[in-house]
Amino acid sequence: MRARSDRFGSALAPLVVVAVLLALWQAAALAIRSSYLPPMTEILPVLGRLLWSGDLYPDLASTLARLFVGLGIGLVLGIPLGLVSGRSPAFANFITPILAAFYPVPKAALMPIVMLWFGAGDFSKILIIVLTVSLPLVYHAQQGARAVDDKMIWSAQAVGCGSLRRLFRVVLPSALPEILIGTRVAIVIGVIVTITSEMIVRQTGLGNYLFTALDMGQFTLTYAVILVVAALGFLLDWAFEIVRRRLTVWAPDRLDADVAATS
Amino acid sequence: MKKAGHTMLEGFKRSYSIVLLLALWEVAVRFGIAPSILLPAPSAVALALVRDLGDMHYLSDLALTLYRLFTGLVIAIGGGILIGIGAAQSRLGPLLLEPLIRVLSPLPKIVFFPAFLLLLGFGSAPRIVLVVIDAIFPALLAAYFGARAIDEKLIWSARAAGMSRFACVFRVVLPAALPGILTGVRIAIVIGCVVVFLSEMVAPGDGLGDALIRAARGFQTVQMFVPLVTISLLGLALDYAVVRVQSTLVNW
Repeated sequence: MRARSDRFGSALAPLVVVAVLLALWQAAALAIRSSYLPPMTEILPVLGRLLWSGDLYPDLASTLARLFVGLGIGLVLGIPLGLVSGRSPAFANFITPILAAFYPVPKAALMPIVMLWFGAGDFSKILIIVLTVSLPLVYHAQQGARAVDDKMIWSAQAVGCGSLRRLFRVVLPSALPEILIGTRVAIVIGVIVTITSEMIVRQTGLGNYLFTALDMGQFTLTYAVILVVAALGFLLDWAFEIVRRRLTVWAPDRLDADVAATS
Repeated sequence: MKKAGHTMLEGFKRSYSIVLLLALWEVAVRFGIAPSILLPAPSAVALALVRDLGDMHYLSDLALTLYRLFTGLVIAIGGGILIGIGAAQSRLGPLLLEPLIRVLSPLPKIVFFPAFLLLLGFGSAPRIVLVVIDAIFPALLAAYFGARAIDEKLIWSARAAGMSRFACVFRVVLPAALPGILTGVRIAIVIGCVVVFLSEMVAPGDGLGDALIRAARGFQTVQMFVPLVTISLLGLALDYAVVRVQSTLVNW
């Protein structure tokens, strides 16, 4: 039962869901008839022209560039930090309270403060992304490293494997399924924080384009950009899920992987 | 008394790095290594926070944010648990819910905020709706997967003992799924705090997020930290409260 619904769910169901949601929207818009809620039959042509004209692409590119640079730095910093803290209780005792205290801070809200220090350029925005995506990466790498079978570490030690080599050759592969779950969370919240900081400091990016359209009263365009960003969030997660499942076919699938993805 | 002293020492051991970090920060500002105009000392922020908590203007911002947060959280958590457990009870539920979750849960919900502003105006309503659609997923997913993971023999024996289907949900399914649901609630609470604050920054007007924007426009760095610290401490406190509830439940 579960396997069948999964196969159905992975291929066709999301498309059906999207079609149903868009149809519901169309029905609601036709019922309400307000310029604040244009029907899909008006939004989709505007969306088509927007994608055809290329007007959005500079902002899309700057959003994606910041997101991927931020994610890349976050991965390089967060995973080793998490792995070490998963194997060293002393380091974990040091770093865990700091991460726990930082966890409920609205990271995008740091934007005005970070801008005072480093200016309004890309550096400040990428710093915010790195700070945000590092949290789930460190946390999940730590959980993964903690769960590594001690006997594997001892055997590696016995054959003369040094501590740094052990970290990358033994701990990293066994923690990989957990790290990839952390990466999925990082991608989802990375998109959110990138867009949100662009909404708070409006210069470039999709978040900026969205609110510029809203401020200029171009409501249909606003909805078209909303669809673009929503699709971007879904597609990035969907693409990474395919990679994640390929890389961890050997690991038992976790039922609560989706719960983690929303944190 | 001795026990209290012992737990205090344990508490310090567990969070010494935060104390160390705050002390270093304080020293760096006091000795002029970090300019206090750009980075106010923790003591200055704490003082300003205490002063603002006696200020009617700040308290009204805080009250508005709390109203939006709690209204949104109650709807999100209540609705999420109801839908999650409800969907797990029927054969059709999973078929409807799972694709919906797959499409909707990874979306950056904040992108719909401009639509809520257009449809609901610039007051509290769009912010409450944003909290609801952002915080509902962790509660819903925890309730749904928690209810599905229950050992079916428990339900069979309850049903065999003559319990009605409806009573079974409340007496068997809900208690068994509760620890997991509370984990979802913890995530929902923190997401709610973050999102309500950001909504007040993205479209300012009033509330704690707006207080940060106002302070930023006036380059009052200390006042920028105060609302940020307030919402973060609120998130930590609410999270801690749920952890306490969770630990008493697990002991039982």
